[in-house]
Amino acid sequence: MAWRNVWRNPRRTALTVAATVFAVVLVMVAVAMGAGTHEKMIEDTVRVNAGHVQVSGPGYRAKRTLEQYLHFDDEVVRRLVRAEGAIGVAPRITSFGLLSQDSATRGVAVVGVDPLREGSVTTLPGRVREGRFLAPEGFREILLGGRLARILSAGVGDEVLLYSIAYSMESAYELFRVVGILKLPEATMDRSLAVISLGDAQEFFVYGDRVSEIAILADDSDSVPVLASAVQRAVGERPAEVHTWRESMPELEQLILLDDAGMYVMLAVLVVVVGFGILNTILMAVLERKREFGVVLALGLKPRAIFTIVYLESLLLALVGLVIGLAIALPLILYLQAHPIALAGDAVEAMELFGIEPQATWKLKPLNPLGSVLTILGVAIVAALYPAAKASRARPVEALRSL
Amino acid sequence: MASAAPLEPPPEGVEARDIAERAEEALRSERTFLAAEMTVISPRLTAPRVVAFENWDDRPGRRSFIRISAPAKDADTTFLKLHPNLWMYVPRVERTMRIPPSMMLQSWMGSDFTNDDLVKESSSLDDYDHHLLGVDPSPEGHEGLRAYVVEYVPHEDAAVVWGRIVTWIEVEHGTPLRQEFYDEGGERLRLMEFGEIEEVDGRYYPRSWTMRPLDKEGHETRIHVREVRFDAAIEDSVFTKRNLTKRR
Repeated sequence: MAWRNVWRNPRRTALTVAATVFAVVLVMVAVAMGAGTHEKMIEDTVRVNAGHVQVSGPGYRAKRTLEQYLHFDDEVVRRLVRAEGAIGVAPRITSFGLLSQDSATRGVAVVGVDPLREGSVTTLPGRVREGRFLAPEGFREILLGGRLARILSAGVGDEVLLYSIAYSMESAYELFRVVGILKLPEATMDRSLAVISLGDAQEFFVYGDRVSEIAILADDSDSVPVLASAVQRAVGERPAEVHTWRESMPELEQLILLDDAGMYVMLAVLVVVVGFGILNTILMAVLERKREFGVVLALGLKPRAIFTIVYLESLLLALVGLVIGLAIALPLILYLQAHPIALAGDAVEAMELFGIEPQATWKLKPLNPLGSVLTILGVAIVAALYPAAKASRARPVEALRSL
Repeated sequence: MASAAPLEPPPEGVEARDIAERAEEALRSERTFLAAEMTVISPRLTAPRVVAFENWDDRPGRRSFIRISAPAKDADTTFLKLHPNLWMYVPRVERTMRIPPSMMLQSWMGSDFTNDDLVKESSSLDDYDHHLLGVDPSPEGHEGLRAYVVEYVPHEDAAVVWGRIVTWIEVEHGTPLRQEFYDEGGERLRLMEFGEIEEVDGRYYPRSWTMRPLDKEGHETRIHVREVRFDAAIEDSVFTKRNLTKRR
């Protein structure tokens, strides 16, 4: 009976269904865009920094000196490369030193990277503005941040003196040939970063097969928890600590949470509006059918039965809307996911500078359709309560009198 | 403060600054030469690392020159301070490097002493205000002696990271016995202990200086002064950049 009733007034029905479809599509696309944007932010940021997951010597995150290390031997490499969800593994040594050319000297952050592996995790090899990246077989080659090079008046081909204290507590000094100038997004880094090869760093700092940390890139930011535990298993009994980008870049996570909160507030408002739309349409329908209800009540139908009928009608409409909505939203999101939209405008340059590709991106997460459907269904269930109750309370005498 | 016994109140008519001057005088004359061995102890090292060096110091001129003589790898590495600049010469790569003022408080040659500790870029007299806290009747490590306890508080513009330094100075001869270095939050970061006090040219001179960073367990650096000459005849040519590159 409910099903037949639904088709008695096609325009009204279409309106209610359209409101639901609109809500489903909008919510799903918005949620997917949020997820896509955040994925891109995470992806691009970890590729500037140290990957999704980092393994380091105990205490490294807090102190960052040569005293915190882990051994980077063949076995660790083999296990990490095979860790579930890992697509890149890059070891590095970070320390501090003085870099000098003629009368200019600067305190620098010295980073030793594996020329072959670094590109599998970070975009560092692509940041060479002048000259080239470290050669795999290179000997005492160094890359300088652009501002650092300018401060030292050092160019490609110059020899600079690096001075530091080795792990063996000896003074360490060596001449390095500048092979490339980097363009780094962050001014502080650009002013203070010097990159040498991992092998040279291990020799310079008398560090053996030690490294400060190993950066690991995940195939997807959603697989980070799985990857983190796989990495934990890979390092096994060795003293080490495993961190994810959430811990190493808490600001990014904060930003994402804030952004999400804003989006959910907006969506909540939207859903409430749609809820009132549904309520309104059904209520109108109920008022129009006042006589009908009066008649059936007079014929002895129980008010509870009327409530059930009206309620079922509303739910049917909602279900139809949800199905159509899903049928539109899913292919749309999948299409957008495959075809990100390039952004234009002033923000583009800033984003590029920070290593973030200026794109609007979407990502369909499994919970998105489920959450959206349940939310809107919930709203429909609540919104239909009032009209249904109203219908069941119709008084036969009054209803018939208004004939 | 680490001392167990309570401090006695400071005596009348004794100025903190005068005590600080006597402590400075006990360690340095106008021109001082010293030859010393520095021993670095660290959990990282299986055997202590020993660095031998010679130091020429011109206090009024705020100049200082250091030449490393051992280990062989670092031999003839030299340091020259001409206030406020510090240069280091590395013979193996034949390069002179200017060490910027911001690096004054970095480790000197991998030890627990800083560049500033060695070349005395900051002045214990002119860069600090001095307050006499009292008299310690039984200073730790020197229980038979009595010591003034003087607090050194750096001037705002002094290139010093310490919030304050508390120094124990022996009452009779002005020999520094012990120094505690505190950060600005009041935490004690390192401890210097002087020992092997001997009479040299009328001064009561501590031949051993032991520095212990309190935040790095197992680390310690001891300087043992093998030879010290006060009011030494030191040529001005010592304090020149040309002398940096001159080999022994």
